[in-house]
Amino acid sequence: MKFSVIKQRSLWWTISGVFILAGLVAMAISWTRPDIGAPLRPGLDFVGGTRLQLELDCSVPDNCQGPIELDEVREVLANQGLGNSSIQLLDKDPLQQDRQIVSIRTQSLDVEERTQLQDSLSEAIGVFDPESTQIDTVGPTLGRQIFISGLKALLVSFAGITLYLTFRFQFDYAVFAFVALFHDIFVTAGVFSILGLVLGVEVDSLFLVALLTIIGFSVNDTVVIYDRIREVIAKNPTLPINQVVDDAVNQTLARSINTTLTTMLPLVCIFLFGGETLKYLALALLVGFIAGSYSSIFIASTLLAWWRHRQPSSPVPVSVDNPQAIEDQQ
Amino acid sequence: MRKQRSLLIVILVLVIASVIVLINIPMRLGLDLRGGSQLTIQLQTSEEVPTIDERVINAVQSVIENRVNGLGVSESVVQTIGQDQILVQLPGVNDPEQAERVLGGTAQLDFREQLPGTNDQLLAETQVKQQLEFQLEQAKQDGDEAAIEKTLASVEGNQQAIAGLYQPPILRGQDLRDAFAEPTGNDNWNIALRFSNQGGDKFAQLTKNLAGTGRTIGIFLDDELISYPTVPVDFAETGITGGSAVITGRFTAEQANDLAVQLRGGALPVPVEIVENRTVGATLGRDSIQRSLYAGGGGLILVLIFMVVYYRLPGLIADVALIVYAILTLAIFDLLGVTLTLPGIAGFILSIGMAVDANVLIFERTREELRAGKTLYRSVESGFFRAFSSILDGNLTTGIACIALFWLGTGLVKGFALTLGLGVAVSMFTALTCSRTLMFTAIGLPELRKPELFCPNLKKAVS
Repeated sequence: MKFSVIKQRSLWWTISGVFILAGLVAMAISWTRPDIGAPLRPGLDFVGGTRLQLELDCSVPDNCQGPIELDEVREVLANQGLGNSSIQLLDKDPLQQDRQIVSIRTQSLDVEERTQLQDSLSEAIGVFDPESTQIDTVGPTLGRQIFISGLKALLVSFAGITLYLTFRFQFDYAVFAFVALFHDIFVTAGVFSILGLVLGVEVDSLFLVALLTIIGFSVNDTVVIYDRIREVIAKNPTLPINQVVDDAVNQTLARSINTTLTTMLPLVCIFLFGGETLKYLALALLVGFIAGSYSSIFIASTLLAWWRHRQPSSPVPVSVDNPQAIEDQQ
Repeated sequence: MRKQRSLLIVILVLVIASVIVLINIPMRLGLDLRGGSQLTIQLQTSEEVPTIDERVINAVQSVIENRVNGLGVSESVVQTIGQDQILVQLPGVNDPEQAERVLGGTAQLDFREQLPGTNDQLLAETQVKQQLEFQLEQAKQDGDEAAIEKTLASVEGNQQAIAGLYQPPILRGQDLRDAFAEPTGNDNWNIALRFSNQGGDKFAQLTKNLAGTGRTIGIFLDDELISYPTVPVDFAETGITGGSAVITGRFTAEQANDLAVQLRGGALPVPVEIVENRTVGATLGRDSIQRSLYAGGGGLILVLIFMVVYYRLPGLIADVALIVYAILTLAIFDLLGVTLTLPGIAGFILSIGMAVDANVLIFERTREELRAGKTLYRSVESGFFRAFSSILDGNLTTGIACIALFWLGTGLVKGFALTLGLGVAVSMFTALTCSRTLMFTAIGLPELRKPELFCPNLKKAVS
């Protein structure tokens, strides 16, 4: 049941290429769309704005008669001069599609404007339950601060990880681990760009959190395989690099699959049944982890083999912690 | 074997201690889980205050604290973030409109002249004020909503009553240049005031009117009386001139400093703006925590089942180690006072994923060694030994990402980085110590020393 990643590497590379290309196209389209204007649809965390989520209070008699009408909400917003806001109806009980919750995203409103909006919505639609209300307001300047600090964190962790890998392995290992990492980031960002176009999904601080976690996991996955490649080479220095990589990938395959599976189980559960807040965090992590284990098995390893194959004179990496030690006691 | 036994005891003690911690110290939940409002207040520079330094932000913070106290929210938090922002957390507040209005304005400090013949009323009302403050504190501690509401209403009535004993403001905050605490030499502290030229003249007039009459200067911050000194008869001729004055009154250093900071905060014309408001209704928070916890918990149970089915005895051991891991980590969160938010829970669940990965790496290695024909003991030994470098690399890279996030990230991101980072650190310990000890204890028992319990379909040639 041994399989060769090297033999079909052009297939693996094509699959990744298609995914990334689709993502890039989606990002380009988003960028030119006037209502988005960025590669991914930015949430209010990054551009500022107000989101109001209001739920009808069903303990008040005759308050929850039928679903909330989108048109009524739109009319109220238009009367307030907020016609360009986006409106979403949500369900209290996901199984019944009752449309008792309305979520409105507008430009940044101050307390007076917001109270006025809330009051007129209440008048038009019904009494809302203050215990279930959610308000998020972020000023535009603060939004930019959050975005910049997030990007900084991303870049610093990139630099830190490259440094660590260069120190633990060799520079070309680090470079290809990095390629794999960018691959995962691009695939995830691409999927969310498409989701932003199709379903209006926005990216917020939690998305940055997801990207950073994906980086950690992706590198982890790649490192495990690299570790094995180094070990196989140390044990058998004359083996051709293609063979080494194939062996290493096969030996770690069960681990790669099982780890991805066990990490995915809770995430799938959170995505399907968890609270609204964590839903897209879970989805981003799922996409990223799948991309991450794909890229470490099929991309990072084959790229390394391809590179080392072209340079047969490159020095053989020497294991740092000499796994031979145990063998000798047998 | 002896070493294993003592390690087992250590682990057992740690688990029991953690359970005791978890029972006795309730977990601190973030506002997104328990409901409440979180406001970020941005200080803006103005002509009079061109830069925001530490002195300025502390003064404004004291004004904000004063206002938050007036809201009657229990367990509220006011803290500075960065150089020019103040974070206010108001647990349990469902509609933050009132809070936003109260917290959003520039501070109002003014000096008023007491009306003649009201000394007895003032004495009575200030006593009522003290009593009400005490009651409010008590009600907040008990978390008694009705009592808080009632007391707040009385506080308002009391404030109006006190304000009624004074004339309209004569001197305003912008007339005050500075205020600071200064020692008098015999353990007492005074508060020194410096006025602008115009303010100095007004103050002289005010003190001239009041000197020797026993009537007081009412110093009001946001319409609340914060100090009411009298003026000695010596100043009856001219009032206190020269644009500076001291308030004496046997203050401790702390009291004097508090009052000075309040006065400064009121004097500074620093416009504040609420740039962020995150409010989660109490029920909504509870619902989302429950759903996410059930979902995450359900997923974890699936993971536990998978481990036993796939890895047999080692899987079972890993499950025990994972449960130990979860208990230890939660206890550490509790002890360090980590506030658990939704992203924090996500970070914790991910760290469990990392902990599982460490075990998977070890067991896959063990199986390989068994298949290669090694004895059970040697296989387990080298499984742990050889998986170590992969586990270390993986955890360190995640650790690097966590440090970057914690260092540079904001609010939500920080919580996630903290729980994931702590989790990864603890998982290194449990995977390597706890799983290892349990594993060697298990293969020390003859009835468990069977390779088939470790690796199904193993060729019979192995003993």
